[in-house]
Amino acid sequence: MSDYIERPRYTCALGGAIATVSALPDAIPILHAPSGCAGNFTWTQAGGCGLQTGGYCGGLSMPGSNVLERDVVFGGAERLEEEVTSTLEVMDGKLYVIITSCVTEVIGDDIAAVARPFRERGVPLIFAETGGFKGNSYHGYDLVLQSLLRDFAEKTEKKEARKVNLWGITPFLDPFWRGNLEELRRLLTGLGLEVNSFFTADDSVDGIRAAGSAALNIVVSDVYGMGAAEAAREVHGTPYITAPLPVGPSATDAFLRQVSRALGLPEEETEQLIQQENRKYYRFLENFTDCYNDMDLQRYVAVVGDANYAVGLTKFLADDLGWLPEVTATTDLLDETQTELLSRRLAELDSGLRPRVIFATDSSQIREATVAHWKTGNEPGNFYANPRSPAFVIGSSLDRELAKELGAAHLSVSFPVANRAVLDRGYTGYRGGLRLIEDLVSTIVIGR
Amino acid sequence: MSYLDLKEPPRRESRLQACIARGGPLGEVAQRPLRCCIPDGERSFTQNSICLLLPALGTMNSIPGSVVLMHGGLGCGSSSHGGNAGVRAGNNQRWGVVKDGTWLSTGLTESDVIGGGEEKLAAAIREADRRYQPAVIFVVASCVPGIIGDDVDGVVEQVQPEVKAKLLPVHCEGFKTKIWATAYDAVYHAIGNVLLPEKEAVNASVSLTPTVNLMNMSSMGRVDEVELERLLTALGLDVNIFPVFADPDNMHKMARAQLSISTCPTHDDYMLEHLKEKYGIPFLLQHMPIGIENTGKWLRDVGKFFGKEAETEAFIAAEEQRLQAALEPLKALFAGKKAFVSAGEFRALSTAILLAELGFEVVGVRSFHHDEFADGEYEKLAKISGNDVELNIANVQPFEEANLLRRLKPDVFLGHMNGNATAAKEGITTHVIYNLGLHYVGYKGAFELARRLHRQLSNPRFNRNLSRWARLPYRKEWYEKSPFTYLKQAAIGGDQHE
Repeated sequence: MSDYIERPRYTCALGGAIATVSALPDAIPILHAPSGCAGNFTWTQAGGCGLQTGGYCGGLSMPGSNVLERDVVFGGAERLEEEVTSTLEVMDGKLYVIITSCVTEVIGDDIAAVARPFRERGVPLIFAETGGFKGNSYHGYDLVLQSLLRDFAEKTEKKEARKVNLWGITPFLDPFWRGNLEELRRLLTGLGLEVNSFFTADDSVDGIRAAGSAALNIVVSDVYGMGAAEAAREVHGTPYITAPLPVGPSATDAFLRQVSRALGLPEEETEQLIQQENRKYYRFLENFTDCYNDMDLQRYVAVVGDANYAVGLTKFLADDLGWLPEVTATTDLLDETQTELLSRRLAELDSGLRPRVIFATDSSQIREATVAHWKTGNEPGNFYANPRSPAFVIGSSLDRELAKELGAAHLSVSFPVANRAVLDRGYTGYRGGLRLIEDLVSTIVIGR
Repeated sequence: MSYLDLKEPPRRESRLQACIARGGPLGEVAQRPLRCCIPDGERSFTQNSICLLLPALGTMNSIPGSVVLMHGGLGCGSSSHGGNAGVRAGNNQRWGVVKDGTWLSTGLTESDVIGGGEEKLAAAIREADRRYQPAVIFVVASCVPGIIGDDVDGVVEQVQPEVKAKLLPVHCEGFKTKIWATAYDAVYHAIGNVLLPEKEAVNASVSLTPTVNLMNMSSMGRVDEVELERLLTALGLDVNIFPVFADPDNMHKMARAQLSISTCPTHDDYMLEHLKEKYGIPFLLQHMPIGIENTGKWLRDVGKFFGKEAETEAFIAAEEQRLQAALEPLKALFAGKKAFVSAGEFRALSTAILLAELGFEVVGVRSFHHDEFADGEYEKLAKISGNDVELNIANVQPFEEANLLRRLKPDVFLGHMNGNATAAKEGITTHVIYNLGLHYVGYKGAFELARRLHRQLSNPRFNRNLSRWARLPYRKEWYEKSPFTYLKQAAIGGDQHE
């Protein structure tokens, strides 16, 4: 990492933890933090998460110790204990999660010691140490899932052969989290599985408590939630598989086959589901075919996204839709193993296309590199120039400047999504592929 | 010694005895100094709110040609994603150019926390200066440097000679103050120290038209600025607006005005005192131009200062007549409806008074904090709405609000950003009390707010339908207790310290 990050496309570990706990069913986050961390995250949500904030207990409703200078000097554990006690009196939850901040981590408050007596009394209380300097919001998501799996999910030797846990999609930081989870739930249910996906309206605290009895953990990410997968293997002995975020038919076919193999499900049933879903998907495309061709809707694309979307969107565009990804930029902070894995994914596209792969956190660097790529081989003034046009930028709302410079259309998908309202829309699975085509093409034809 | 000679501004708790905890009827506090604080630990149950960094960013991100460099954990200042829409719109409204703010984070890691972050900060300042070539760089200290002891001012002093941009250190260590209005002092402190001229350098030339500083510390959006410009221009004044969206190279003009006028007394006293002390510029800081009578009072003070009483009176009379005629058809829907407001102290009070003027019955007011500037505003509210209005000083604390809403059953609730969901889930008609794209201020603001409330009340289905399916996260026993159960409050008018 350089000496700074420009307009980071994520927030800190605590922000990720807030996102995660406030998305759990009937959960009450208890912040051990100065008063402002919650507001900071709420404003972040309002600006970047497709107009979604709050939740059952989110935003400024979350209890918190509001630590001050006095606590920094004398320690904040006593204040936290008081806060937990009063939270249990006022707040109606089925699960309480203490999450910590930079300030309380630096001063070294012993959270385990505060939580222990409550837990011994049978209070459904866990904690995660999520000081902001420990990592970004995806890390905070992982830390909360680890706590849930280690300290809340009951341990059992008995695994249920057709039960799985699903994660890898970060609430809010993926503005399409709800739709993305719902579609994958639907498909896994279609394979005859019982699914705990933590965050949808169909999930429950009881379902999470029983997460230890799953036969398999499925992480639909190459990066997010790996620590939790390891923790669950260690604590519950549950094996796990990881897959890139499946967007559209090609990736979803592969995903369903991977899950099916891992669980030893009957192959013909899986293939039957895949057949049926593809038939539906292409039936929808059938009526679109005239206009798609007549209006010449194929595009050159620059994809700018987090680790999930950079790969997932590129694969869909290249292998399903038949567009031309020229540049794929991933904006997360990644280690070498992670960048190698993502690069490999992008070098294995079925279409044989090979976008230029960029790993950079800063919008301005991505813009410079992408504009340079667009210019390569195109001398101005050449009557028979062959520019990468017509073009499309799929990224975040921070990539509108890039789109403008390329003369490209633009759609915000990856955080921050400031300029779209997102409710149940998602881009995973077969239905997600259709949604994405609708959104991309609607953007192109909006002035029609 | 001036506050600006200090490294950072004092906390408002010390400077103004500002406080955040009180509950009870308005009559208990009007006509006497409101003392509501036990320093620290006012509540044994607290929810979260914001810290001073957030409002400070609202202004810093607006400054053209600026870069905001956050020194802290990776997440501090990610609220800029929320503020950015206002920056884009604000730039567009003023110059016809849509432009994102530029904010950066040093993203302190575990090893920085152990080893210190000063070198990283110095390198980040140099790199930001090189890459963006900004006119100014706000170097913002958040909580972590405040605890690990990074000397942000020292780094700024050391690096300044090497870079072209002017460096403005701004202290926003969130754990140091519970009064986030300290943010305004922190930003004014930096602007005053770096961007204002030496006294001797101020050109004494007197222009033919008197010029005033109209202070806008993100108190209002462009549409409201336009309204106040209209009112002041009508009195024959030239208006310069500071500090939001003000070009850093023009900030020096602040030192040349005949008068400084506050838009929100909660926001501006720190700079106005400084302008008076250093450059001898008198100021007005008593009323907020929200509401019909308050706009008149605000304007009368200006008229009086320039000896234009008669023409001010004539102007106000004409404006009020035109406004009242326009409001008349809207008022029928408001009559007898109960209203509840929640916002920063001055805004909450002046908006409550406006609602009373529109014919609502004001039943409750929540202020995010209290300080001496608002004492007069409580008097005004008591005069128009009586002593029984339920008053709650709270740095948000939605649980107290939820309890009060069940008791007071208002027909309409006006809350701050991210502050309307509690009332909405209860099915109450809601409207935002602060939004940079909407009118609130002056005569135009009074009308536009009335118009929007009329619209909201004409179809309140969104919240009503939501309330059938969404529920607030409080135990039912909570509603049976006093809303102020968890408050530890000092005796009224008594000594603040026990």
